[in-house]
Amino acid sequence: MHIPDGYLSPQTYGPLFGVSFVFWSVALKKIKKDLSVKQIPYLAMAAVFSFLIMMFNIPIPGGTTGHAVGGGMIAILLGPWTAVVAVSVVLIIQALVFGDGGITALGANCFNIAVAGPFVSYWVFRAVKGKSSKPSRLSTAAFLSGYIGLTVSALLVALQLGIQPLIAHGPDGQPLYAPYPLSVALPVVALEHLLLFSVVEGVVTLLLLKYFLKHEPDLIYSLEAQRTRT
Amino acid sequence: MKSKIPAFLIERTSVQPYVPSKGRLKKSFIEKGIDHLAEVIKSGYVQWETSLMDSIFHRIDARIKLLFLLFFVVIVSLKHQIVPEFYIAGFIFLLTLIAGLNTLQFYKKVLFLGFFFGFLVALPSALNVISRGEVVVPILHLSRDYNFWVYHIPAEIGMTREGLNAVSMLTIRVVNSVSLSFLVLFTTPFPEIIKALKVMRVPDSFIMIITLCYKYIFIFVKTVEDMHLAKKSRTVGQVNNAEARQWVGARIGSVFKKTQLRCEEIFKAMLGRGFSTEIRLYQSRKLSSHDIAAGGIFLVIGGLFLWM
Repeated sequence: MHIPDGYLSPQTYGPLFGVSFVFWSVALKKIKKDLSVKQIPYLAMAAVFSFLIMMFNIPIPGGTTGHAVGGGMIAILLGPWTAVVAVSVVLIIQALVFGDGGITALGANCFNIAVAGPFVSYWVFRAVKGKSSKPSRLSTAAFLSGYIGLTVSALLVALQLGIQPLIAHGPDGQPLYAPYPLSVALPVVALEHLLLFSVVEGVVTLLLLKYFLKHEPDLIYSLEAQRTRT
Repeated sequence: MKSKIPAFLIERTSVQPYVPSKGRLKKSFIEKGIDHLAEVIKSGYVQWETSLMDSIFHRIDARIKLLFLLFFVVIVSLKHQIVPEFYIAGFIFLLTLIAGLNTLQFYKKVLFLGFFFGFLVALPSALNVISRGEVVVPILHLSRDYNFWVYHIPAEIGMTREGLNAVSMLTIRVVNSVSLSFLVLFTTPFPEIIKALKVMRVPDSFIMIITLCYKYIFIFVKTVEDMHLAKKSRTVGQVNNAEARQWVGARIGSVFKKTQLRCEEIFKAMLGRGFSTEIRLYQSRKLSSHDIAAGGIFLVIGGLFLWM
C-alpha cells in the first residue's frame, strides 16, 4: 500500500505533495484555529494509535493473517481532519525510520492513505448509518466504511502507478518508473483488496465500533458530531 | 490406565507458536504480532545506537543532512540511465564508510528492501506479456497467441531485454533511495531530523506532534507486546479465529482508551513544565564552517550527478 521511492515520476509526486500540503494546512486550521498546547498530545496520541493498529495481526480465513491500516477507524473515532494529521505523522515516521514508503512518494502516500481513505470512510459511515441507531445498521456502516475506504485508497495507488508508463517513458517506449500499465495495476490491486485486505479492514472497523458502542459510546466522534447537529 | 494429566494440558492449542500446514510451518497471529512488535523496537534501538556514534558525517548538522537527503532522493528519481545510478550508489557507499557504519548490516537491510520492493515486485513486468521487446530469457512456449480484451499473450513467453533493463533501473533506484534514507537516519538522532524540518518551514506544532508521537510509539509498542505475551501465556485451550478477531478488536479498543488517557497525563506534565499556549521549539545551533563545507560538497557532487 505504501508506494516506495522510484515508482512515481516527478510529474506525479510533485503535484501530489502540493495536494497533501493543502490538506495538511486545512487540517491543522480545522482542528483548532491556532493549535493550542492541549491539541498537541491529543494529535500525537491519535498518531500513536494509528501506528499501533497496524501492529495487530488478525487471523483471516485460509490460515493466514493480515493487519488493518486504520485510517477509516481514526476518522470515525476522532474525525476525518484529525485522521489526516494523525495518519500523515505515522506515514512520515514510517518512511524515515522504517523505510516503509518512499520520501519522494510521501505526498502521494499521505494523499491516498491519510486523506482519501479517512474521508471516504467517514462519509460512507455517515451515509449508511443515516439517522438510524440500530446496532445492525451501525455494524453495516462500520464494515462498509472500512471496506470502501481502504478500497478507494488502494485504487488511487493503482491509478498513480498505472499511469506511469503513459506519462513517463523513454524514447523506446519503455516505462521509466512503475512498469505496470493500468490494465495490470488496476485489476490486480482491486482484486486483492476487494477479496482480502479491505475485508480485514472492514472487520476490524466493525469490531472496534462494537467495542466502543458497548463500553464508551461517547468517545465516537462520528456519532457525537451527529448528535450535536440534531 | 487412565491418564491423570489434566485434559487442558494434553489438548493441542490453536495459538501454539507454529501451526503445521501442508509441509510448512505457519506462525500464529500472536507470534506474528510479537515478531512485528519486536522488529519495531529493534529498529528504534539500532537507529538510536548508531546515530550516537562519532564520525565526520555524524557531526554534520541535521539540517544539512536533511537537505542532502531530499536533494539526492530527487536526483535519484530524475536519472533515467543506469550508469549515473551506479555512481550515486558508489558515492553513498563511500559515505557509509566515512560514517563508520557497519556496512554489512547496513547493506543487508538496504538490499533486502531493494530486492523486495524493487526487484521482486517489478520482475514480472520484464515478461513480454507486459514489456514488448527482444526475448532473452524464454520461459514458456504456447501453441499459439491468445488475445482477450486489452491483453495479448504471445506464443513464446519470456523476459525481454528492455523489460530486464527497466527492472534493473527500478531496483537500483529503490536501493539508492533506501540507502540515502538509512544513511541519514543511522547518523542522526530522529528528534534532530524532525527538528531540522524547521528549515522547510514546517510549523513548530507539527514538529512537536511528530516528536511526541515518535517517543510514545515505543512506549505503547511495549504495552501492545505485553498484551500479546499475556494472551500467549494464558491461552491453554482452543481459540478459534472468530474469538481471536474479537480479542484483537477489544485490544485495539483498549489501546485507544490508553492513548486517550495518556493525552491528559502528557498535557498536565507539559503544563507542569511551564508550557504556555505558545509552542516554540528551541533554535538550533548556528551552522559551523564544517557544516557549510559539507553542504557545499554535497551541492557540487549533486550538481555533477544531475549533469551526468
